[in-house]
Amino acid sequence: MELDPESKSDNYSNAQERRVLTRYAVLTIALLIPLVLSFVFIRNLYPFAASTMMLRDRDPGSNYYILRGETVGGETIDLPPISLTNALSGRHWGLVSAAVENKPFQISSLHPENAQLTAAHSSANDLPRAARLEDLLRAWGRIYNSRLPESSPQRLRLVKLDAYRWDGEIGADYGRFVESWKAAL
Amino acid sequence: MESSPLRNLVPTDAATLGFVRAAVCGFILCEILRISFSDLGQLPVTLLRPTGAMKLLPWRVYDLLLTPAGMFGLKCVMVVSLGAATIGWFTSWATKFSAVLFVFFEGILRSFGHFNHDEMPAVYILVVLAFAPCGDNFSLDNLRNQKRLHWSALVYGYPILLMRILLAWSYFSSALIKLRVAGLTYLSPDNLPALAIEHSLDNLHDTQYKLAFSIPQASKYSPLFVGLVLAWELLFPLAIFFRRARYIILIIGIGFHVATMFLMNIIFPYHVAMYVVFVDWGKVLAKLRLLLDRSLISGNGVPQDAPR
Repeated sequence: MELDPESKSDNYSNAQERRVLTRYAVLTIALLIPLVLSFVFIRNLYPFAASTMMLRDRDPGSNYYILRGETVGGETIDLPPISLTNALSGRHWGLVSAAVENKPFQISSLHPENAQLTAAHSSANDLPRAARLEDLLRAWGRIYNSRLPESSPQRLRLVKLDAYRWDGEIGADYGRFVESWKAAL
Repeated sequence: MESSPLRNLVPTDAATLGFVRAAVCGFILCEILRISFSDLGQLPVTLLRPTGAMKLLPWRVYDLLLTPAGMFGLKCVMVVSLGAATIGWFTSWATKFSAVLFVFFEGILRSFGHFNHDEMPAVYILVVLAFAPCGDNFSLDNLRNQKRLHWSALVYGYPILLMRILLAWSYFSSALIKLRVAGLTYLSPDNLPALAIEHSLDNLHDTQYKLAFSIPQASKYSPLFVGLVLAWELLFPLAIFFRRARYIILIIGIGFHVATMFLMNIIFPYHVAMYVVFVDWGKVLAKLRLLLDRSLISGNGVPQDAPR
């Protein structure tokens, strides 16, 4: 029995719709189950996030950092990194503290250059503190200078990161200087 | 396959889904245009700590990509793809490609440090759009090809519902995690001032407001404020089900995110932008069309009540 064109079109439409709804079911499971698991284990496993925002993610008494630059003219200026790498919005403090704590050397699959550096020091624990921080400071300095003419006295000659400590007590000394790292440009 | 409960819950028309696609992709496109990929490409690749699925890629990919030229190339591809998805040109392919690129790009950002959850609902919403017929209205595809399949309410309505659930989950689970991790100490008078001050000390945050230092003077009100915020987060799923609650919850949400910027230097623009999924754009567009028609008629000197 031959179907009329309208019935054929309806059949096609129903089959397509069933396909779309199956796709939705798979999509729902693929998104919601990992999200619930991330929540249960409180673990971020990209692209699935446990919503841990607004929790204190640093121990009280940990360091905080101020990025500064010293110009060719001898002036010390504040250098908020959001003005240098705006793509990393909301992430600079994590990047800096990870660099200070040598976290790129604490992952299972090291970058070949990091693996070489680790091998040269027998283990990751023997590495100097903030082994890659100077590279980061230099990169920020280069980005800043690239926006200024060669002759500008505002160009940087060095970039430095100052670490301060706050013990977490409200009203106490918020800015006890701890240490500093510098990178000449 | 008609679904009356779904019709009562979410808009089930192609126009709303199409407008949500245009708004979400347009917002992400603006953000991508605003940020400098070349500057990001100058950062040393040796600082990367690939996270989650990003670990599946070999280091060689990152070495090639994390250069000014490599990142600029990625930006160009993302702009073309998101641009096509925004205007609804080859929508099915453009939304899928944009979702893959955005997941990849956000993965790179997270591999540089702090996880930051702001963009995550946008990632999921883009993935949902990639698998929904979101180019059937409010798109160039629709202008080019008026013939399309007749879908039921479920096909256009369910993606909207899923997107709303995903955004609500972000807030709801956030409140539960706070209670699980910190318990009732999260409501202690010192918690909010300490958290706000912690985020206001350095110059590594996106803004450098110092209002946090005045919070301790009002710390006795802090448990009340924190409790209200927790309650708002826990009640956020009501925005999925009740229209009146939705407006109140979303307005509080905007106020909350503005407050966290001034008090804690924490900004969540993606979360706020994704509130578009809670608006019935089909109705808004129909009203705008009606207003436009009326103003055109009155502009032509034809009285509005003239017989036509």
